[in-house]
Amino acid sequence: MAKESFQGPFERTSDTTWRIPKSYRQGMRVDGIVYADDRLVELIRHDQALEQVANVAFLPGIQTASLAMPDIHWGYGFCIGGVCATDPAEGGVISPGGVGYDINCGVRLVRSNLTAADVAPVQTRLVEELYRQVPSGTGVGGKYRFTPGELRRLMAEGVPFLLSRGLAVASDLDHTEAGGCIAGAEPDLVSARAVERGYDQCGTLGSGNHFLEVQLVDQIFDEPAARAMGLAKDMVCVMIHSGSRGLGYQVCDDALRDLRGAPEKYGIHLPDRQLVCAPVDSREGRHYIGAMCAAANFAWCNRQLLMWQARECFETIFGRSWQALGMSLVYDVAHNIAKFEEHEVAGRKKRVWVHRKGATRAFPADHPETPAAYKHVGQPVIIPGDMGRASWVLIGQPGSMQQTFGTACHGAGRVMSRTAAIKHAEGRRIDRELADRGVVARARSWKGLAEEQPDAYKNVDHVVDVVHRANLARKVARMRPIGVIKG
Amino acid sequence: MTYETFEHTADLGLRVRAATLNELFADAALGLFSMIVPDLLAVRPLETVSLKIVGQPTDLLLFDWLNELLYTFEVRHLLLAQFEVAVNEQGLTATARGEPIDRGRHVLDHEVKAITYHGLKLERTAEGWLAEVIVDI
Repeated sequence: MAKESFQGPFERTSDTTWRIPKSYRQGMRVDGIVYADDRLVELIRHDQALEQVANVAFLPGIQTASLAMPDIHWGYGFCIGGVCATDPAEGGVISPGGVGYDINCGVRLVRSNLTAADVAPVQTRLVEELYRQVPSGTGVGGKYRFTPGELRRLMAEGVPFLLSRGLAVASDLDHTEAGGCIAGAEPDLVSARAVERGYDQCGTLGSGNHFLEVQLVDQIFDEPAARAMGLAKDMVCVMIHSGSRGLGYQVCDDALRDLRGAPEKYGIHLPDRQLVCAPVDSREGRHYIGAMCAAANFAWCNRQLLMWQARECFETIFGRSWQALGMSLVYDVAHNIAKFEEHEVAGRKKRVWVHRKGATRAFPADHPETPAAYKHVGQPVIIPGDMGRASWVLIGQPGSMQQTFGTACHGAGRVMSRTAAIKHAEGRRIDRELADRGVVARARSWKGLAEEQPDAYKNVDHVVDVVHRANLARKVARMRPIGVIKG
Repeated sequence: MTYETFEHTADLGLRVRAATLNELFADAALGLFSMIVPDLLAVRPLETVSLKIVGQPTDLLLFDWLNELLYTFEVRHLLLAQFEVAVNEQGLTATARGEPIDRGRHVLDHEVKAITYHGLKLERTAEGWLAEVIVDI
């Protein structure tokens, strides 16, 4: 399969939206709608991501449109940055490819009372402590071990299980999407293989684009919302990006295998095998949903344990408890997940399965699922950028409910393939370049850093600008990295 | 070397060419492990693993083969770097050799999350066989 530019019809429909009409290919049930501006659209056309937006429009029961966020790029099956809602009452399907291998990959942001001046004298020591203590990289297990029985409880109960073990506090739960536990988890449907792959990985970062960063708030755009989150200019924060590790990858893999015969069985025509799916109300569909929810709960526990270890590192370096350092969780969002939610479609309220594959929930103020502390401003939307430039916190806006099933972007989005990034990095020392920008970076491999170098990504500021202007989510704060841990 | 990686924006593609199916499957396995540990020569053949996969000799057999190797690596922390594969109409039998990860000698690279079906290809060519597979990084 070669990297080719998209040649199909692609029309501008507003300042921030573009359309692939459903007439483009026979079998598309709805249009494709892509959020982008002039700058981003040129990058987006480069690979097969737009073809994938069109492919998703084939899925039975899809509502309104096959949507894509401005950080869209070429994935497998679904594009990354894709959003698709299906209605079970209309034969709607659930598709593991619409969630991805890394079930409930997501991001959390932790604040602190520390400022740039507090960290400056210990910046390198802090990063090295985090690098030593927080397990990262390929094939690395963690320090938390759970018996098979405990692991089942962890998957069934999510972060509340860790609360009972003294590895979480109540406010951690309040500030985690779904309270750190999605209903409907069926640990018994998670295969022995998945458990084998995941049993020593809860509390480990992994590799690829996963990271732990120490960041500084460098700009505030919305004072009241920032105040509600406890964020202020010059404040030190920690951002963590990881998912369900080997356990989740295996759950997805098992489901794809289970679904190999499903399109034929249920008479579903698909343009790409990776989009394989089954009706929500089928044995295969229910089976996947139960296992996916269990993996999602595992992922929330993973990020909780990663945060717990980061708090311990700060305690070591600063000689005070994490509570005294004010290291409370601002929020945790999933960006690879499918959830059964209520949305208004063509003037009618209905419950739909919203697949978010590299896309973040962005519920507005007063939504029942927005936690009490943020009820008046909206749900925090955490957007990691790249390790040299910036990351963002936004808040969900009413426009997301009207346009995108309550969804905004999830990151910067790659623009350079991994191979191209390696070529681009030849003869360079990415760690030194980052040091020149004030970023202390530690990674298990040179290649890892090279593939994840800032130039490999779109400028996250441009991506955020589009969702802000489209009224999906509003800018609250921009952070810049000062310490980076990569697998 | 009859395998190479090719570009895919978020992940990595693996392309393999070989005269026979047996070689193709062996080389695909080398390609997969070269993503995990770039210096395959540093992996000594100290342990032997026997694998058997049932299925018609199609692209799905290739998928299942690579998947099984990934699982073996992840659960047993075993790096594999030598492969002998016999593909037949009922599936394949294989012998793989390698050793457990030794952080002192092995520099690990990518964490391969999964083998994907996206763009999965196994076809006959004038010279033999060609396979393409994209893995999730």
